[in-house]
Amino acid sequence: MMDDLLVQSVLVQWRVNGKLHEIEAMPGMSLLDAVREQLGLTGTHMGCQTGHCGACTVMLDGRIVKSCLTQAATLPRAEIVTIEGLKRADGTLNPVQQAFWDEAGFQCGYCAPGMLLSAMELLAEHPDPTDAQIDTGLAGNLCRCTGYRSLVRAVKAAAAKMRETS
Amino acid sequence: MADHSTIDDTRYVGQAVRTIEGRAPIVGAARYTNDFVFPGQLYAHIVRSPHAAARIRRIDTSGALKVSGVVRVLDGAEAAAHIKPITHYIDPAVFGGKSAEVRVMAVDEVWCYGQPVAVVVAEDKRTARFAAQRIQIVYDVLEPVLDAEAATAPDARIVVPGWDSNIMMQAPFRNGDPDAAFAKAAHVVKTSVDIHRFSTQPIETRCYNAVWEHDIEGVTLYATAQNPHPLRHVLSEVLGMPESKIRVHAPVIGGAFGMKMHGHPEEALMCLLAKLTGRPVKWTETREECLLIGAREQRHHMELALDADGVILGLRDRYFANVGAPSACPGWGMAFLTGLTMPGPYAVRDIDVQMTVVITNKPSWNAARGYGKESTALALELAIEDAARQLGMDAAEIRLKNFIRAEQFPYNSPTGLVYDSGDYSGAVLKAMHAIGYEGWKARQAEGPKDGKYIGIGVAFELTPEGGALPGTMVAGYDSSSVRVAPDGSVRILTGVTTPGTGNPTGIAQIVADELGVTMDAIEVTQGDTTTCPYGFGNYSGRSTIVGGGSAALAAQQVRAKVVTVAAALFDVPEADVELHRGVFSVKGQQGRTLTFKEVCYAAYTGAYSVAHGITLPLEATATFKPSNIRHTPDENGRINPYPSYSNAAYVTVCEVDVETGKTKVLAFAAAHDCGRVINPVLVEGQACGAISFGVGGAMFEAIAFDSSGRQLTRSFMDYVMPRSEDLPAVKMVHHDSPNPVTYMGLKGAGEAGVGGSAAAVVNAINNALIPLGVSLNTLPLSAPNVWGAIQAARKRGQREAAE
Amino acid sequence: MSLYPSFARPNSLAQASELLAGLSGGSVIIAGGQEIMPHINHGAMQPDIYIDIGGLKELRGISEADGVVSIGALTVHRELQGNAIVAEKLPMLADAASRAGGGRQVHNRATLGGNLVAMHPLYDIAPALLALGAEVELVKAGETRRTSLAALMHETSHGLGSEAILVRVLVPAMAAGTGWAYEKLKLSGGAYGSANAAATVQLDAGRITAATLTIGAVADRIIDAAAAVQGLIGQAWTAAAAEQLELRCPALVKQPLSDQQGSGEWRQAMAGVVARRAMAAAVARAGQK
Repeated sequence: MMDDLLVQSVLVQWRVNGKLHEIEAMPGMSLLDAVREQLGLTGTHMGCQTGHCGACTVMLDGRIVKSCLTQAATLPRAEIVTIEGLKRADGTLNPVQQAFWDEAGFQCGYCAPGMLLSAMELLAEHPDPTDAQIDTGLAGNLCRCTGYRSLVRAVKAAAAKMRETS
Repeated sequence: MADHSTIDDTRYVGQAVRTIEGRAPIVGAARYTNDFVFPGQLYAHIVRSPHAAARIRRIDTSGALKVSGVVRVLDGAEAAAHIKPITHYIDPAVFGGKSAEVRVMAVDEVWCYGQPVAVVVAEDKRTARFAAQRIQIVYDVLEPVLDAEAATAPDARIVVPGWDSNIMMQAPFRNGDPDAAFAKAAHVVKTSVDIHRFSTQPIETRCYNAVWEHDIEGVTLYATAQNPHPLRHVLSEVLGMPESKIRVHAPVIGGAFGMKMHGHPEEALMCLLAKLTGRPVKWTETREECLLIGAREQRHHMELALDADGVILGLRDRYFANVGAPSACPGWGMAFLTGLTMPGPYAVRDIDVQMTVVITNKPSWNAARGYGKESTALALELAIEDAARQLGMDAAEIRLKNFIRAEQFPYNSPTGLVYDSGDYSGAVLKAMHAIGYEGWKARQAEGPKDGKYIGIGVAFELTPEGGALPGTMVAGYDSSSVRVAPDGSVRILTGVTTPGTGNPTGIAQIVADELGVTMDAIEVTQGDTTTCPYGFGNYSGRSTIVGGGSAALAAQQVRAKVVTVAAALFDVPEADVELHRGVFSVKGQQGRTLTFKEVCYAAYTGAYSVAHGITLPLEATATFKPSNIRHTPDENGRINPYPSYSNAAYVTVCEVDVETGKTKVLAFAAAHDCGRVINPVLVEGQACGAISFGVGGAMFEAIAFDSSGRQLTRSFMDYVMPRSEDLPAVKMVHHDSPNPVTYMGLKGAGEAGVGGSAAAVVNAINNALIPLGVSLNTLPLSAPNVWGAIQAARKRGQREAAE
Repeated sequence: MSLYPSFARPNSLAQASELLAGLSGGSVIIAGGQEIMPHINHGAMQPDIYIDIGGLKELRGISEADGVVSIGALTVHRELQGNAIVAEKLPMLADAASRAGGGRQVHNRATLGGNLVAMHPLYDIAPALLALGAEVELVKAGETRRTSLAALMHETSHGLGSEAILVRVLVPAMAAGTGWAYEKLKLSGGAYGSANAAATVQLDAGRITAATLTIGAVADRIIDAAAAVQGLIGQAWTAAAAEQLELRCPALVKQPLSDQQGSGEWRQAMAGVVARRAMAAAVARAGQK
């Protein structure tokens, strides 16, 4: 019978920030809740739960997504990187993180997951982005503190540093 | 970026130091309130009224109690049996207004959409929400009162039972002989300014997690709270517990902007639920709930009396503030500040301003960055723009003609304020220069291109900051402790808090200079009532003025102690000891040095030798109390509640597409006077953030209701805030006139700019549309509204042509 | 409505279809989740059963045969923007996909199928596909059928989202030299569309030989403005023609939306403005390669 397909929970296997996890995902639960509440990775933030603010951004199989809009149970196997996993292997900050700190990109820091991961994906595709490309690259994220100018400055600084070292 | 060429390299103050608290968020290690989970954690879900006004006939919670996992259900009546009404942050009765009894949940009657009516506590948040749907409430719906002016009509339904009208407070701000000024005026310009309801919406919503402390029968509240100590006092009164049994801990805050000032029902409610269940109870606000908190809605009926040359002789204003339903939060006070700050930066003596604060069935206000001073700026700057237009004057010229002059400070305003310092004309000229005013004027003179009209907007904002209201927990002073450990590391504990503005770094910069240590030796602790000195937290752009000022005084005391010890170690007079960046040396004796650590260890271990003359430990607590706040009324009964008067000029260039009504901001410049700048990057960050609020508010952020009072704006789909592409680069010029009475000349830097930048945008749009005969002073100037005004002007033009 | 919903992840279209046919209701189909998760997060939607179609290979892939581009329903916006076939044969679709809101995060995960099944009047994909004459293939109760997207959007019992699965979208490749433009008017960078228009046009010796035009975000359904472009056929694109088009379009908006994306009166007028702008841009692009 097809009813055999119906389950009450899904055992998912995720590699999160390089570490393998097996967790029980309840149907309906968002990836955001799974990451924060089941894995205890609270660096990913809840801002609106409607996909508008971007504070819940994580990287899923190499692409950034909004974890509040992603249902955990639909990811039987996945490679996930959260903000906690952005540091380099030696524990130092990656160039984007470093630039956001050096340039005072953030104020309260709540939007950091979305801004950092969006900047990283943007710079992977556009190593020397124009202002318009930065606007588009950050379009999925809201920041209420900075008026965005410091964020744009940080993205440019990160781009310059990455071009220098690559 | 501004020019920072005048930096003194020997001091941290004045430098764009990287924030000490800035690393944690970028590695995901900053712990915000919602990140805390405790053993046995329970979750609360609040049932809210779907009606703007209704009588509660019956509440049946039995369905919710049957759901497995539900621990407790409470309605308003039961909560009221356990705890008292919420203490007002600023009780209107203290200022001659009416004070309503505000309960944590509605009892008998609901007075706004979204008001808490019942609460479910369960083992997990999904269960709590699921069970909440099983609470049955029968309402008798009442006719809502929604418009402020209509609410003052004699036949309007009274929102608060027992009141004689919906007017919560009415107050005049009057000086001189305004009637005479109007009688002799060559021109009288009348302008109505409609400021809509909009909201601060930090990206972190509110969250409270109350933990019952069984050992002392007390409670710890982890809270998104700007003012932990004053909140503790409120909780003590509401819960009937001594303050000593309550701890409020505000961890890292994800933006606040006034919204996280207290008086919210959920604060005491979570504490009560923790007490009743004996377990930790957490409530995290949804965005839909957060959007209920409004602010700023005011309607001004302005009249300016001017002489033939454009000098303003007198000002009249009748304004109505729609503060929504009664609340214990300090939001309503914004309306008062609007009048108190009239006539802003202008040297007008004869004024007649009448404030009317009106209660309606809209959800309540809370404080919002600008705290009413943004509305002063909007009303004044839009009216002055109208005056310039009617008199055929340049927008900048009319302002320069009417500003208080730099040599007039300290200046006694007609409402009793004492402005400390400023150079308003200089600021406007700098901002105009920064944007290239003449160049844009020339471009504008070329006429519209492809239906795109260019307009230039000038506006000014005076922002009193660091306020202290008598008889309230809005205090003008604050305190800090500086503690130096035997290893020479430094901890600053301060009563001011940070919503994410960077003030811990600013305070650390000040202490590093005053104490003579390096920045990396310093940690800053804030937001905990158990560890920090009593303080009032964050509001009114005060944190660096009084937090920095008090930390400086404490650092000076500790420095004196270590210098005494170092002098003993060197065996030289104290006057010969120098201390800079953690190294002691002796004047004129090269090579004789001691490290800060060596001296500190010697102090702790040398109480009977080298440290004999000092009081150990190496700690001090000090208070900074600005001396120019005056709460003793003058002969006119007026007080000066502010120590610092930040001010700024804003100039913007906008391009309006007249086919669609849509505006693009092309350029923005600001000349900002926040007194002495501790850290230019932080100051610019504040200014750019405020400009973002102003641009969004002027053009698209708006909270809408249907005719039954139900809020239509319930998510970020409808509450649209600026994104990166909506904001231009900001040319920022510092134009600092140091405050003569604060530490190092500091003024507030956090609040200024919302109204000034919004007014500049509105003025630019209207300036662009002069050729079409459009003048629109009803905010927001969204594309549909601007388009509507253009259509109306065209029809008017056609009618006039036909006549 | 259950506190403990069930979940299934079928691994073939046949299995998914059979499963859906056997359920009595209360189920919801989920793929990328971008459309339904906001409702689930806030409890506005509380399904008893989730059917996750993310594993169905039949719903993936982009290919072209006989002048028709077939796009699997699980194709995400990001692929629509970057896929070589779409870029060459359906550039307007690629452009519309890049104009969708939500930022890169949403573009990375929002599927073509989910976008269409939502039938949201403010979304960007449908106006473009309608202007391109797209068809869709769907499976319901084991039956596969193909219908025009335009007809589907007027059906009331298609069952998409709960009983029927959108498998693929079939779009005639745009003829060489076709001019096209997708015009989107929104209140600000983060706003949803207030008035959108998708236009295609073919020119011969400066005269319009064929044109399509759809207008979205102004009414609860996307408007096929064929009646308004009819008069353009055989004409050159002149100022007068542009003005005529702008005047005709608002009349097609019988009941304009009036919400926080703008008042009805404005939306109705903007239908004409975006239509004219889209057609003008399409004409400017026509014949250029």
